[in-house]
Amino acid sequence: MKKIYVCGNSITGILSAIYDAWKESRDADAGIEIRGFMEPRMFCEYAEVTENELKARAVSRLIQKNMGYNTWWSVYHALLSGDTDRADAVFHVMCAARKIPSGRRIMEHLTNPDVAKVFELDRRVSNEAHLFKEFIRFRELENQVLFSEISPDNHILVCIGNHFADRFPMENWMIYDKTHEECILHRAHYKWVLVSGQELNQDVLRRISDAESEYEQLWKTFFDTISIKERENPKCQQTHLPLRYRADMTEFGPTIV
Amino acid sequence: MAEKIQTQMSIQEKLLILSDAAKYDVSCTSSGVDRRGDGTGMGNCQASGICHSFSSDGRCISLLKILFTNECIYDCRYCINRSSNDVPRTSFTPEEVCTLTMEFYRRNYIEGLFLSSGILKSPDYTMELIYATLYRLRKVCNFQGYIHVKAIPGASEEIIQKTGFLADRMSVNMELPTAESLRKLAPHKSRKNILTPMRMVQNRMNENKYEISVYKNAPRFVPAGQSTQMIIGATPESDYQILSVAEALYRKFDLKRVFYSAFVSVNEDKALPAKTSDGPPLLREHRLYQADWLLRFYKFEASELLDENNPNFNVFLDPKCCWALRHLEQFPVEVNRAAYEMLLRVPGIGVKSALRIVKARTMGIIQFEDLKKMGVVLKRALYFITCNGKMMYRTKMDADYITRNLMNAGERLPDSVTGMTYHQLSLFDDVNFISSQKADLIIRN
Repeated sequence: MKKIYVCGNSITGILSAIYDAWKESRDADAGIEIRGFMEPRMFCEYAEVTENELKARAVSRLIQKNMGYNTWWSVYHALLSGDTDRADAVFHVMCAARKIPSGRRIMEHLTNPDVAKVFELDRRVSNEAHLFKEFIRFRELENQVLFSEISPDNHILVCIGNHFADRFPMENWMIYDKTHEECILHRAHYKWVLVSGQELNQDVLRRISDAESEYEQLWKTFFDTISIKERENPKCQQTHLPLRYRADMTEFGPTIV
Repeated sequence: MAEKIQTQMSIQEKLLILSDAAKYDVSCTSSGVDRRGDGTGMGNCQASGICHSFSSDGRCISLLKILFTNECIYDCRYCINRSSNDVPRTSFTPEEVCTLTMEFYRRNYIEGLFLSSGILKSPDYTMELIYATLYRLRKVCNFQGYIHVKAIPGASEEIIQKTGFLADRMSVNMELPTAESLRKLAPHKSRKNILTPMRMVQNRMNENKYEISVYKNAPRFVPAGQSTQMIIGATPESDYQILSVAEALYRKFDLKRVFYSAFVSVNEDKALPAKTSDGPPLLREHRLYQADWLLRFYKFEASELLDENNPNFNVFLDPKCCWALRHLEQFPVEVNRAAYEMLLRVPGIGVKSALRIVKARTMGIIQFEDLKKMGVVLKRALYFITCNGKMMYRTKMDADYITRNLMNAGERLPDSVTGMTYHQLSLFDDVNFISSQKADLIIRN
């Protein structure tokens, strides 16, 4: 009988489920489903997973050791997506990797449907992360903190933290993910941290520094003049910069007088 | 006007004038160098480059693209800043450029600075000002982001070298592909003073490679390489001539990129093509970029794509499809066995998908469904490939038949081209001037 492991919708949850499934039934018929997104099926045995950090870390080590660092990143990116079948796909990729001579090259098996799935999710998440490296806009608050709000589809904050920490090591900055209500904080000269479930003080966020509106205006001026009128092409602009990103971008925002 | 020049302009007005004057420069890439921040300043670089926004003409905005000054002693016919034009003139100070760059960069508006300039007083004087700006930005503001700077033709070797150690990319604009056109439209520039700084930068980069291999921490000279740009459609050169010049530049000068800029008519001048309602030749520019990619990443040669008898690109089909249709004897190729080089030549297969195919076929036999997942554009590729000895559908290996089908499949014209799908019939062969065929290319292979 197929055994299905049920876990919560978090990285720790999914990795714990993989830990249990791997330990007990890597040779048997098994699957992983996420609580809240499952349809009950017949002829299946359901098992609730106890989640903890240790299990998650063990699986991460296992993948890095046997399937390589690059595969781990693909898997990690896939897990950051919102897809409900991601846990199952990752588990089956791990099982498939056991059956080939070199497990490190599992991501090259694009003919395997689970590998193709993880590959696609990886691509989706890393592409979105890259887009936000481009489109994030900071505004300087009264207390000199650089603040940015975004609304991504996937949990991409952890993918962009290092990039911005390397770029602005001497600044205090924060990026708030409105969709998942998560936030990364960076204090000058320190490492960044991910915070979730915290309420932001909207009042502080509205008070911008004196210089801020001047630079916003300068940027808008630049943005408008740099376009060549004879080549005007809004459709092309829209393919590269879809409308849904524009809500949080300075150059498309309301003009400050 | 005179009054305005004398009174102090605000930075807002300066930015308006000097970014407006810089916008005809095409190059806006921030790629080619990977550099982590050292933790004491601001900025880093990513080899892939990062676009931060897209302006309403669909071009990417990656760098703060400005002129240092739009005052110019030269009188190039096509240029909006030519000395005989009556436009408001102004200059930044090095401090202003630095503040703008740093503040824009902090807010993640830009990836770095693109600094070009009109020629103020003399090439050397202008280059000194550019150097002073870059020096301040790198050493005082501790900026570690991307800097693209123009080497001013005619400036002394020493100052160009010093600037090169502060910049990531340098470029000297080729402007026009033949010496004749250059004489006609840019009387103050010559083949010699464009190619000299280009060669100098190339030689210095090669020496620098050696220095770095000996001393790991030797300063980097123009680590992201050099680029150039040519204006398309202001003069009667054919696509073949332009592409040959580009090929020679890649081979002989190790350029990273050659940019093509569709001629935008901003001046009335009898030496320039008459202003029409057609707008800039965007499709032609697009075809040249496609061919440029084929040269750089697909191992094609200019002479394979075009020749003396077919000197211009097809309006309807991209250069790769055209090549494949002329060489049907080499198709169809078997995806599971064909060499990587041959896969690259199949329309609908790109570099990434070709690499994926080569990897995936060591693990199992590839079918058409797998190709789709790997990113192959099947509606174009299906006429040229077999999987496991079978073609996807029954098709004829016939150039007309395939052309018709490719067109019906909606050969997608680029977004940058709207409505330009037919060409006015003319009694005169207006694109292929016989005289220009024998023109003197700036460089040859």
